[in-house]
Amino acid sequence: MKTYLFFGLVALLAAGCIGDDIVQDAVEPELRITNPLDSLAVGATHQYEVQYFNGIGQPELAEVTWSSSAPSIVSITADGLATGLQEGSALLRADVNAREGSFSATVLLEVGANTVAAGTFREGMIRSTSSYLLEGDFELHDVGAGRLELRIADNYRASTSLPGLYVYLTNNPNTSVGALEIGRVVDFNGAHTYVIEGSSLNDYSHVLYFCKPFNVKVGDGEILD
Amino acid sequence: MVKSWIDALPKAGWLLGFALLSQTSFAGGPWTQPQGKGYFKLSEYWIVYDQHFTDAGVTDPNVTTGIFNTTLYAEYGIVDRWTATLNFPFLSRNYTNNVVSASTGEVLIPGEALNSIGDTDLGIKYGLNKPGSKLPMALSLVLGLPTGNPAAGTQGNLQTGDGEFNQVLQFDIGRSFDVGKKSSGYATAYAAFNHRTNGFSEEIRVGVESGVAVLDRDLWFILRLANWESLKNGQTAETITSTSIFANNQEFTSFTVEAAYYIKGGFGVSAAFGGAFRAEIVAAAPSFNVGLFYDMNH
Repeated sequence: MKTYLFFGLVALLAAGCIGDDIVQDAVEPELRITNPLDSLAVGATHQYEVQYFNGIGQPELAEVTWSSSAPSIVSITADGLATGLQEGSALLRADVNAREGSFSATVLLEVGANTVAAGTFREGMIRSTSSYLLEGDFELHDVGAGRLELRIADNYRASTSLPGLYVYLTNNPNTSVGALEIGRVVDFNGAHTYVIEGSSLNDYSHVLYFCKPFNVKVGDGEILD
Repeated sequence: MVKSWIDALPKAGWLLGFALLSQTSFAGGPWTQPQGKGYFKLSEYWIVYDQHFTDAGVTDPNVTTGIFNTTLYAEYGIVDRWTATLNFPFLSRNYTNNVVSASTGEVLIPGEALNSIGDTDLGIKYGLNKPGSKLPMALSLVLGLPTGNPAAGTQGNLQTGDGEFNQVLQFDIGRSFDVGKKSSGYATAYAAFNHRTNGFSEEIRVGVESGVAVLDRDLWFILRLANWESLKNGQTAETITSTSIFANNQEFTSFTVEAAYYIKGGFGVSAAFGGAFRAEIVAAAPSFNVGLFYDMNH
């Protein structure tokens, strides 16, 4: 009897200790061109910027090389300085050899009369990845001066039963770690806007809704061009 | 035939009243303690859960969370028909696990723990009819004092209390009976209203319970069924950050199974476990309770 009580007590104490929960946080590594153009003027130049995100969605330094499918239309240096040479179009490609493998990113560039930056907004749809109500459309706008606006559409609805719901921008929708915390969700129905300082339009791949008290993802939305 | 069923009342009384599982009442059923008599119990309650019932009534995952309460419970007869009750979780532990990356093995979100006292319940029960009544009824008032910690840890999600003041008014009715010459049993029902403060929704609680004793009334088996409904008239996540088992707007239909054994005289041991048939905003895992008790009436 004493032995049973002893082992029972040990088991009870062990159950009260902090253990580990494993979260599957792997994502597909990605090489992303962060300042694309729609068109480049003949004779003008553009310094492309690119960022490699590793298998957990974190930015990682890696050596990138650039190439052009039509060097007579657009030339590009190995470090991404493109020059418009004559009217036409070319596919520009960035390649990286990272720890997790080789990855590439491409962008189609028109060379014409003017230099035109790519669109100033991206969009997507929020979806629930849990049993809690969470849905709606959104747009992510570059409003200049290093400022973004995440505009949640009028069809947005979220459960008010969730305690501690937060919204993030992230490159890994499996976890809030490494994500940019926008703020606690205080709007649960209808249109509203979050202002984000110091970020660029292509810095993140997903909007993430995460319940902090439960440390669990509630929903997400891929940010599409 | 029901034979001297009043002898069984003290047993039934504490067995009814003494359950620290969250879904059970602890007002002692309709039986009051005789003057100067009492029932006392030291117990350990625990629940460890990695999923919870959502507002849609289905289960979703959450970080593994544990709650352990070491509790002193007492019923004491002030005078006949008036019984005082105390439920004092003098040591309450709430913890969450580390969240670890499967990709890198790194701790992404460190686990945390809180050790504190829990919320304390003080109650008074009045027998509506004279001791020995065939159909005893009682009215109880239980005050849930917010002595626990409602928001600790970096996310404020570690809690040993809900931070609000409960006022529970409960009506109990029941009946005991004999089963042969050496066995007894009882059946009770209750209905209660819980008025809550700090934006928490009021609750309506109903439940039934039945127990049977064997081995010359030394071994009791008890089954409890409870249904708690929230009026959902309080605040929501828009203004409250609470979580875990103390979350607002909880609802459930639950069961508890308990066994209690008198080892010698009035001293005994008990063990119980419980779970939910359906629930909203409640931990989705079985809860357990083991205890040592002393019954002055046995």
